[in-house]
Amino acid sequence: MLSPYRVVDLTDERGVLAGQMLADLGADVIQVEPPGGSTGRGVAPFFADRAQESIYWAAYTRGKRGVTCNLEDPRGRDLLFGLLETADFLIESSDVGRMAALGLSYESLHERFPRLIYTSISAFGQTGPKADYVGSDLAIWAAGTPLLMTGDDDRPPIRVSQPQSWGHASGDAAGGSMLALHARHQTGRGQHVDVSAQVSAAQATLGQVLAYQLGAVEPERFGGGVKIRGQGIRGTADVLDGHIVLMMAPGPAVGHFANHAIKWLVDSGAAEPALLEEDMVTYADRAAVGQADPELFPRIQHLMRDRVARTTKQEMLQVSIDYDLLLAPVLTLVDLGESRQLEHREFWNEIEHADGRRVTYPGPPLKILVDDQPFGHNRRPPPELGQHNVEVYGEVGLSEAQIQQLRSEGVL
Amino acid sequence: MTLPVGSGPLAGVKVLDLSWIVAGPTVGRAMADFGATVIRVESPTRVDTARVVGPFHGDEPGIEHSGLYGNVNAGKWGLTLNLRVPEAQEIFRQLARWADIVSESFTAEVLARWQLDYEHLRQLKPELIMLSSTLLGQTGPYNQVSGFGSQGAGMAGVQYLAGWADRPPAGPFGPYTDYPAPRFALTALLAALDHRNRTGEGVYIDQAQAEGTLQLLAPALIDYKNGGPPLERRGNDDPQMCPHGVFPCLASEGRSESWVAIAVADDVQWRELAQLIGADASYSSDQRMQRKSEVEASVAAWTSTRASAEVEQALQSKGISAHVVSTTEDAANDPQLAHRSHFRRLPHSLHGETVIEGPRYILSDAPVEPTRPAPQYGEHNELILKELLGLSDEQIQDLAASGALS
Repeated sequence: MLSPYRVVDLTDERGVLAGQMLADLGADVIQVEPPGGSTGRGVAPFFADRAQESIYWAAYTRGKRGVTCNLEDPRGRDLLFGLLETADFLIESSDVGRMAALGLSYESLHERFPRLIYTSISAFGQTGPKADYVGSDLAIWAAGTPLLMTGDDDRPPIRVSQPQSWGHASGDAAGGSMLALHARHQTGRGQHVDVSAQVSAAQATLGQVLAYQLGAVEPERFGGGVKIRGQGIRGTADVLDGHIVLMMAPGPAVGHFANHAIKWLVDSGAAEPALLEEDMVTYADRAAVGQADPELFPRIQHLMRDRVARTTKQEMLQVSIDYDLLLAPVLTLVDLGESRQLEHREFWNEIEHADGRRVTYPGPPLKILVDDQPFGHNRRPPPELGQHNVEVYGEVGLSEAQIQQLRSEGVL
Repeated sequence: MTLPVGSGPLAGVKVLDLSWIVAGPTVGRAMADFGATVIRVESPTRVDTARVVGPFHGDEPGIEHSGLYGNVNAGKWGLTLNLRVPEAQEIFRQLARWADIVSESFTAEVLARWQLDYEHLRQLKPELIMLSSTLLGQTGPYNQVSGFGSQGAGMAGVQYLAGWADRPPAGPFGPYTDYPAPRFALTALLAALDHRNRTGEGVYIDQAQAEGTLQLLAPALIDYKNGGPPLERRGNDDPQMCPHGVFPCLASEGRSESWVAIAVADDVQWRELAQLIGADASYSSDQRMQRKSEVEASVAAWTSTRASAEVEQALQSKGISAHVVSTTEDAANDPQLAHRSHFRRLPHSLHGETVIEGPRYILSDAPVEPTRPAPQYGEHNELILKELLGLSDEQIQDLAASGALS
């Protein structure tokens, strides 16, 4: 779909997913790294059989071509300008101010390439009192407010053990870049897309980031559930081989799921058939005016926990489908690796690297039909350092001898 | 006839938004921000869960009080339709003909029962762009799993990966698969729109919200699938940084706790921090990892006698990543978020005023000024049915009598 468009991707580990999202939709994405390699090549984890090769970098450069370019050298910048002549997007995630220091600010490039869409990903945004702050996954999650909402209430707040912040920001960078493309169709001009990872992280709060300003109570963290007015409510339950997410509550939005749960309890002999008479959709309202037993719902919860404790994750997933419950297994990485659902959807893709190794990757994030035909999956392996120098710089008019010369001089 | 056209990059783009809760509506909200005309369809018979979870205006629960619903539906036009009623299905078909993009999040195969799925809609309009977004996708043995992103978090591995190694999983906050999913969906819809405008070809997007979330776990997945160990939850530990964690600070008056997040990326930063807190500056990265408890205890001892904002300032001025672990009150007073005008106040007919978040990015040449809050139930029924579809008052009354609008 995006095959007419070229992306010059200057990101490091902080923004590297954005270009991949466009590559998976068909854009020609050229990852540009310094001659010594991106700092992203130093980010854990590393391949089990090759301790120096970053899986993180491979994960998010899959689907792109790769060149090297020393942007601190004026000849390197000339090479970049050559690439930008043919590019629609530039994406960067360097420390705020560094692009300007290299003479590559949005303003200067916009003057030279007025149609270029220039997307910047940073921890806090390009301007403002915290623009120069040192960002990190943890600090961004803290500043965006999801961090304080996460974790056990008797210990410090926690992040997700695979860092998430820059992924959210990169996702927004891809969307913002596409909006700028539509703007360019109207105006003929490119523009600057300024992504703040702090703002992106605020998405991960279910709107709670607004709580104080709306006059609502501050959300509180509670492991495996939520805390409402100081009262912890578990949203998970133990099963024989791990845990499940289990939501059961009365009320108009979700009470019917609780009714389904009662049906399963009765069918499986864990509750008396008389409970089938109870309607959890109206229960809360009735209990509030003394027309329903306030002890009833807690008892149903108790029955449910006892019953699921005698099952497995897989059994409960099937029950969830058969009875339409708000319930799901807490899958481990091992479970995900064996998931029949992912296998059926051909989520795992074996891709041959330049050195001939076959490496299994997660598939593209979406299944797409274009004109009712499956949209092809981008199976390009992650580029080795400078792998496409000859090919890409050749496309913008450099001879192999020139490229060789630039390489020997440390420009590539 | 038409609805008022917005301004911005998507001016004139027409979106029929049948999705609910967060993942789908967030996509429509972004398109409305940038000028698209978005009709949000919902049925009061099956209340959108976003309307019954907080944060609520004034902490008062109520289906028109939800700040979450307001945040993901601002700028849309509201229509009530109960698609179980045949008359409502006919209205839906008319609106699908009007729309460039249809976005829905019914359990897989539900729309097909009403002959309103992509197969049928593309007969009406081959160039239609349609997004179907569910937890696990339209196909596969578990395509019938329905539920919220909290279930999605379980099935996308992220629930398992948030927590302490010695405790059961704590999970991330809320329906986590609703957070990455809209980024992938919006980007693809805008690519599809670009493609359709060039070629006239329609596009169908089958989104498994869990698969979008798995993109953010890709390094751990690739590691495991290629012979590495499966990643386990590890609190705030980082494989390459130490100290790295959330440290206690002096709580200000009226608060029960206060925390600061600190991440020391290299030896230079450690030397700066060690000088500040009086620790051994000579420790290398490996030594710090080996003596993690000792190192992090020395940081905690120093932070615990100071205010979190003071620690943030002190460390950032030395080039070390640190930030107050913000409450939502802190966010409301954050000068950086204020600088970006991130929080927007809008007049609201029930609440006097409401607050929503601004867009997730600032486009230098396409400023966004949200002007309308999220619609109340059926707020624009008459406008849409009468002005857009040309129905008479009598026809609208008949529709209402059939139950199509409830």
